[in-house]
Amino acid sequence: MIVLRIRAHRSLAGAAGLLGAAACALALNTGGASGATAVAARTITLNESGRLHLTSHHGFHLNEQGTASGTIKGSIYIHLTVSSTNRVTAEVSIYPSNGSLTGYGTANYRSNGGQATFSGTMSISRGSGHYAHAHASRLSFSGTIQRSNDATTVHVSGPLSL
Amino acid sequence: MRRRALAAILTALAAPAAYASAGAAPAVAAPAIEQASLHASFTPNRLGVSTTIAFGFHLQTTDGLAPPPLTSIVLHMPAGMNYTLTTLGLAICQPAVLQAQGVKGCPPNSRVGSGNALVEVPFGTGSGHEIPEIQAVAGPSHNGNMVVLFYANGQTPVSAQLVFTGEVLPDSGAFGSQLATAVPLIPSVPNGPDVSIVDVNTTIGPAQLTYYKHVHGRLRPFHPLGIGVPERCPHRGFPFSAAFVFQDGSTASAATTVPCPPPVKHRHK
Repeated sequence: MIVLRIRAHRSLAGAAGLLGAAACALALNTGGASGATAVAARTITLNESGRLHLTSHHGFHLNEQGTASGTIKGSIYIHLTVSSTNRVTAEVSIYPSNGSLTGYGTANYRSNGGQATFSGTMSISRGSGHYAHAHASRLSFSGTIQRSNDATTVHVSGPLSL
Repeated sequence: MRRRALAAILTALAAPAAYASAGAAPAVAAPAIEQASLHASFTPNRLGVSTTIAFGFHLQTTDGLAPPPLTSIVLHMPAGMNYTLTTLGLAICQPAVLQAQGVKGCPPNSRVGSGNALVEVPFGTGSGHEIPEIQAVAGPSHNGNMVVLFYANGQTPVSAQLVFTGEVLPDSGAFGSQLATAVPLIPSVPNGPDVSIVDVNTTIGPAQLTYYKHVHGRLRPFHPLGIGVPERCPHRGFPFSAAFVFQDGSTASAATTVPCPPPVKHRHK
């Protein structure tokens, strides 16, 4: 089981990430301009990729951090838990400059030689800032783990309601 | 699945007469029942560390003779074994390559263990013959599950090179995973009975293994990390059990435990 956890550490996002986040924030503000009590839900298509490296491990847990790119840019943190020989759970957190998103995924885990792959689904149930009301379910969630050094790539895609 | 090994080249065994003799059991004799014993160990046996798992089994009938040929074995391993950081099997070996060339045809980084076995040709001789070389390598995953290929290089009494395929599957309860292995039948003489497996001892782990990796353009040796011993030991030790199925449909089972390691003594300053 792989758990991707986005932690509350912010890192400097690239200029493109800031611009993207600002544009997204602007769009959100526009969509929410109908009043303080009525915020129209907006759905975007998430297409997120991350490259991470191992920062620590304990027992069945791997903690990784790296950079997310795609729809939302920022730092990404993943907390992976290998729950059995072929299942992982993940808590994934992404920290763009204007908020944060946290999702939980479960995936089938396949180890084949030097590379392991995982593929499953993820839901997003928590956010802050511009993503305070973000939620999604059954996002596609997949990735790879280099077994020699536990470097990880992750890909999350699907509709995200804001 | 019944898989015949390659054509056996036999040593000079007085097969026909002995075989006929072995088949002349008294009609009133009670049917023999297969018995199994199992042993397992961790090296090192310390909580939470990379280890080499050694396991072995002995099979015989209640009357002390060799059992029928073995067709499958499922080894149940304790819950909590940690596969997270093991670097065993960084490369894989294709079964066809292993069958044709032996382990020397496989990448060094595919080796995951080794052992030996004792087999008996059911001719009533009662003498076992050692298969001195069993090598375990990582094979292509099946349905996403890790696969261990066991290569047995037998010379006497049958010259046969056999590949057994074991698949690591999730388990339940006190067991976290199981190694399910189909055992090919080992032919003896043409049209004769298959060989019986009496003893097997093998390891899965980094002991005596050397892997290689490229560092700054050079190939550097290193020792892979094994599967991790659970961080907590059950009250009665780490449980292992094995279920055996024989060619005639009979079964046997055995269980053992790896004792809990002694507590680590902390030095007080």
